[in-house]
Amino acid sequence: MEPVDLLPLLSESQPRRLRVVENLLRGRRTVSTLYWGQRYHLLSLLNLNKTLTRGGLDDTAAALVAHGWAQIDAEKETVQLTAAGAAQRDAKVYYQPVTTEQWPYLDHQVLRARLFLAIQVVSQYAHSQAQYYPLQVDLAARQAVRRWFHTMKGPTLAATISAALTASLTKIPTMAADVLTAQFTGFNQPGVTSEQQAQLTGKTTWELYLMQLDGLTQVALDARQPTHPLHSLVAALWQPPVAHSAQVTLAAVQTGQTLTQIAATRHVKLSTVREHLLEAAIMLSLTDFPYAQLLPATTRQDFQTVVSGPIDEWQYGDLPETVQNQYDFFDFRLFAIWCGKQEA
Amino acid sequence: MRETLVESLQAVFGFDQFRQGQLAALTALETGHDTLAVLPTGAGKTLIYQLYGYRHPGCVLVVSPLLSLMNDQVDRMRMSGFKRVAAITSQTSFTERQQILRQLDQIQFLFLSPEMLAQPTMLARVQQLTLSLLVIDEAHCIVQWGPDFRPEYLLLGAIRDRLGQPLTLALTATAGQQTRQEIAKQLRCTPQVVTESVDRPNIFLDVEYVADEAEKQERLQQLVTTLKRPGVVYFSSKQQASDTALWLQQTANVQAAAYHAGLAAEDRFKIQQQFMAGQLDVICATSAFGMGIDKNDVRYVIHYHLPADLESYAQEIGRAGRDGQQSVAILLYAGGDERLPLALGETNRPDAELIQRYYQHPTNFATDEPVIQLLQFYYQHGISEAAVVRLFQQRQRERTRALAQMLAYVREETCLRHQWLQAFDEVAPAHGANCCSPATSSLDAAALHLTRTTTELTRTTTEVPTVTTVSWQERLHRLF
Repeated sequence: MEPVDLLPLLSESQPRRLRVVENLLRGRRTVSTLYWGQRYHLLSLLNLNKTLTRGGLDDTAAALVAHGWAQIDAEKETVQLTAAGAAQRDAKVYYQPVTTEQWPYLDHQVLRARLFLAIQVVSQYAHSQAQYYPLQVDLAARQAVRRWFHTMKGPTLAATISAALTASLTKIPTMAADVLTAQFTGFNQPGVTSEQQAQLTGKTTWELYLMQLDGLTQVALDARQPTHPLHSLVAALWQPPVAHSAQVTLAAVQTGQTLTQIAATRHVKLSTVREHLLEAAIMLSLTDFPYAQLLPATTRQDFQTVVSGPIDEWQYGDLPETVQNQYDFFDFRLFAIWCGKQEA
Repeated sequence: MRETLVESLQAVFGFDQFRQGQLAALTALETGHDTLAVLPTGAGKTLIYQLYGYRHPGCVLVVSPLLSLMNDQVDRMRMSGFKRVAAITSQTSFTERQQILRQLDQIQFLFLSPEMLAQPTMLARVQQLTLSLLVIDEAHCIVQWGPDFRPEYLLLGAIRDRLGQPLTLALTATAGQQTRQEIAKQLRCTPQVVTESVDRPNIFLDVEYVADEAEKQERLQQLVTTLKRPGVVYFSSKQQASDTALWLQQTANVQAAAYHAGLAAEDRFKIQQQFMAGQLDVICATSAFGMGIDKNDVRYVIHYHLPADLESYAQEIGRAGRDGQQSVAILLYAGGDERLPLALGETNRPDAELIQRYYQHPTNFATDEPVIQLLQFYYQHGISEAAVVRLFQQRQRERTRALAQMLAYVREETCLRHQWLQAFDEVAPAHGANCCSPATSSLDAAALHLTRTTTELTRTTTEVPTVTTVSWQERLHRLF
């Protein structure tokens, strides 16, 4: 990631922890990362760069500071854009992805491997080529594509796939569709690398990646329709917003069990139950989470009378002792999530 | 009744005739002789074990040193219609590995890296298989890489014993007498040697001295601009390969790309395919490029850095002119260039003092350094300190000798081909106009018809696979 890629992920009004951005990209799904990821409106970054190393954004941030575009606080934790940085961000034509809402729920890596191989196979098949070098993807992707191809192959497959891809790519910006299709491999088309595209377009490989994600996501969105020709290949790659274990906890809450009871029956710590619920609260919409049960109106009122100012500045330790004695950090954090969702 | 070799060749590949080395190697194997086949690049070495595997029940186990090469081989075999093929390397995912292991007895061709085969659990599984043939691919790596790079190669002899000394085929493109002896010694067998001359008469050999790095770059740019295309430029550094590809692309009006082990697998695949499809004029590569590349019309191979030995050099220039047409191999040399291969060789070679300190307190050392991993390997395999010291001293002498031989080639004033072939115990044909130009004389590429014609020089470069020139609709249309 280059400095220009980090600019749109930072804010001039909200100091943001660099480690949170890093952990989101690396797919470290802790409650703290998810909470702050949501506060920064950056949950779409989840899992996008699993190979990023710890501290992998430090040099990029330092470069922004060196340009005078950002400042880092004394503890070297948060980064905030300067006026010059914000101006730089706004002046730069940078790709604005259109499908980000869906990103946390898709395994893009597997999706890309399957889709690219399927396109290659169909393209070669359409040109009656049986001898070609297949893209090197892992065994699971190879088998998924093989199974899919055997049920789908026939004289109209190429036209069907072409029509389906056309329908999807029409819905995203032209530049993104151009970038994605230029990377496809198929008959007489080796495909270009991101590096080559970066050289030709002057864009960074990260920005090009964001464009690809839009294309891939749109295809996966359309393939949710059971009649879509890629349905059996990619529909299963949608992931539920909340991990399985957290879903079980949530279901138990909805049957009326207390958190302590759930911890006992599931043989997990109470803190784990609470983490499950915070994760669910962050990832689900207001109506999909049992706030009435876990954050009753009286609790909300108790908090409302003692907090003030921007949500990001609230600290559990700053609450009056009486409130701290009455409520745990869990309740406080849940209240902050609820307030954040109200704002949104 | 059993098919004859030629009938098998017909049945599997549709060819009527073997190449000379293939037939000799297959005949030796068919009569039960372990075989060392020293056959030049492009002689069709893989066909030997493919055909043997087709003719005999059981599994052909191929030990191959390069991950990229292995995947490539597997793909190629699948392409040629061999379906029961699998490779297990350090890159194979756990699930995939489990799946392959479950069906291991179904597999006809199994590719393993030496590291993988050296693992006790894997070795135990392989011991249960009926092996029709053990193949050691790129067998010269045993000597080039053994002690200070991939010591597992040194275990191959012991592993071969543990596998019950199956019929063995060692394959390499380049091996002088000493390397051949070393391969036989390491594999603990006395193979029948099948050779063809390493000489490639259609490759003109050229050595050029330049004053410094700047002059070298300038000369490279000039060559890449004027020589017939496509070509390959070899570097010893990934970074320099990448930087030069970009620089040539921007300054020499060529389609250039870098290829090295630092690229993602998909990018390597695409660059390779673009090169094969004629979309690239020049590849700036490290030694990771080459083994397994099927492109017949490479017109030049330039070495920007000095290779560590003549065998690597021979291997790399062997990519040129596989179609038999006139081609050229150019080595650019600036005084002191030998420092790079020397330094690269030393990074992984512990001195006596370090070996001693390690053997006294092995637990005091962090194992994230490759050189410590090497020592750990020897220590854990019960090899004594004195033996390890001797091993590395001997290794150093060998590498020094190999580099001296390479430098003798660079400094040769009369006939480069003579100097080259001598290293492989071959006698060069009489020196003539189309043979070579040592540093003392200059390359006349025009006389060899290796310069681009005026029309070629003014033509715009090959169709650029740009993002912008072709719309996505058009691209989908072309794909389907």
